[in-house]
Amino acid sequence: MLPAFELLTPTTIAEACKMKLETKGKLLAGGTDILVGMHGGKERYETLIDLKGIEELKGFDTKDGLDFGALTPHREFEQSALIKERYTALYEGCSQVGSSQIRIRGTVGGNICNAAPSADSIGPLLVFGATCVIAGADGRREVPLSEFFTGPKKTVLGESELLERVLVPSPVNGSGSAYTKYTRRRAMDLALLGVSCYVVLDAKGKIEVARIALTTAAPTPIRATNAEEFLVGKTLDDAVLGEISELVAKQAKPRSSWRSSAEFRIELVKELTVRTLRLAEERAKGEA
Amino acid sequence: MTHKTIKATVNGEVYERTIPVCMTLAEFLREELGLTGTKIGCNEGECGACTVIISGKPMNSCLVLAVEADGAEVLTIEGVSQGEKLHPLQQAFLDAGAIQCGFCTPGMVLTAKALIEENPNPTEAEVRKGIEGNICRCTGYNRIIDAIMNEAERVRGDK
Ligand SMILES: Cc1cc2nc3c(=O)[nH]c(=O)nc-3n(C[C@H](O)[C@H](O)[C@H](O)COP(=O)(O)OP(=O)(O)OC[C@H]3O[C@@H](n4cnc5c(N)ncnc54)[C@H](O)[C@@H]3O)c2cc1C
Ligand code: FES
Ligand code: FES
Repeated sequence: MLPAFELLTPTTIAEACKMKLETKGKLLAGGTDILVGMHGGKERYETLIDLKGIEELKGFDTKDGLDFGALTPHREFEQSALIKERYTALYEGCSQVGSSQIRIRGTVGGNICNAAPSADSIGPLLVFGATCVIAGADGRREVPLSEFFTGPKKTVLGESELLERVLVPSPVNGSGSAYTKYTRRRAMDLALLGVSCYVVLDAKGKIEVARIALTTAAPTPIRATNAEEFLVGKTLDDAVLGEISELVAKQAKPRSSWRSSAEFRIELVKELTVRTLRLAEERAKGEA
Repeated sequence: MTHKTIKATVNGEVYERTIPVCMTLAEFLREELGLTGTKIGCNEGECGACTVIISGKPMNSCLVLAVEADGAEVLTIEGVSQGEKLHPLQQAFLDAGAIQCGFCTPGMVLTAKALIEENPNPTEAEVRKGIEGNICRCTGYNRIIDAIMNEAERVRGDK
């Protein structure tokens, strides 16, 4: 049995925020992070607030960009032809989370709020320029995803707040995206390194916009802004890619873990950024 | 609340029980209902031995609270066969030699069943990806994959 707790089951966002403020309870979505931590008593909570009864947090809409509720499971993005085609990097991230059982249960909102440096949906959402809609007892606020993380497993969410939705602007024509997840085994492994890229090409094939996000390369998911700026107006030739690998390596601050040494992660950052950029570029040209 | 009375349909039968909210569905099935076909290997979502189908979707019952089964339909391995008569998928596992110790088999069969229902024409790669959350320590997977491919073929009516 899990360590004993009290279970609350709100049906509206307002009710959930109030409960969180009053009980200091832990929000529960798919539970694939929380319940794993609770088994064996590693983590204990007096109160769990199950969000799954809140309809407002479910479903996604692609009319004007992508607007998805925090409870959207990874599986829904994995199985959406539109997400695969337009938000390819996000598809590649969500479809590589855990196993089918985990993707059916685990939510993208939970992946974001758990704030693990390795979370597979976060890098792709960062390069698409996603914004978090946060609901709290005092109302709503919007925070760019790039400012959502304050440290490993830490977010800007306040005492009464929860993640309500995520807004992702539509990728423009002439853009392409890609996510590369490096793991030691092909199934059921957390990313040893994750690289996400989004590029927009102009009519001459030069880079107009480049966004690069690195996961498991620093205590929180980060954008490689130096490399992004350097890329503007360039074409991806060998000299440019050589510069890029040095620039991203400078911004990465990986640590050594049992999965890999920091030195190896730096080499991965260099190589995989180059490969992922190339793939995003090919997709922007409609070649891949 | 710390306890709740739930009404769950398991393998077509309705059960009403008052249970602690901290009980997992895997524990509920095994300890409350005596349905020990559902195995607990890791309690962490890694091994898939506890996989059951809830309202059509395969889930790790070690990571589902039993109270969530309230009003839901749960299918466990006990509900797959018709009494002593095996489901064709189970027979396919036997015929392919896809079972050794059998610990992974209930979860594997339920994952495979959901997979074939969703996609009766899977490629081998799709079958491999589909069972990535089910660990087998004995068979080396190839015969399990054969069994699933054979059953999918049968379902499509090619065989
Ligand atoms: C076997 C296994 C394999 C896994 N593999 C991967 C993998 O390959 N890649 C990967 O990225 N992750 C992986 N995970 C981790 C996990 O599945 C994901 O992080 C998942 O997306 C978490 O979502 P959830 O809904 O289950 O979150 P929960 O466990 O319910 O919650 C996670 C955290 O987010 C908070 N939270 C949830 N929803 C909200 C909200 N709306 N507002 C505010 N806070 C909220 C919770 O309080 C908690 O702190 C794996 C987990 C397991 C068990
Ligand atoms: S016991 Fe549930 S996945 Fe291993
Ligand atoms: S048959 Fe023994 S674990 Fe699969």
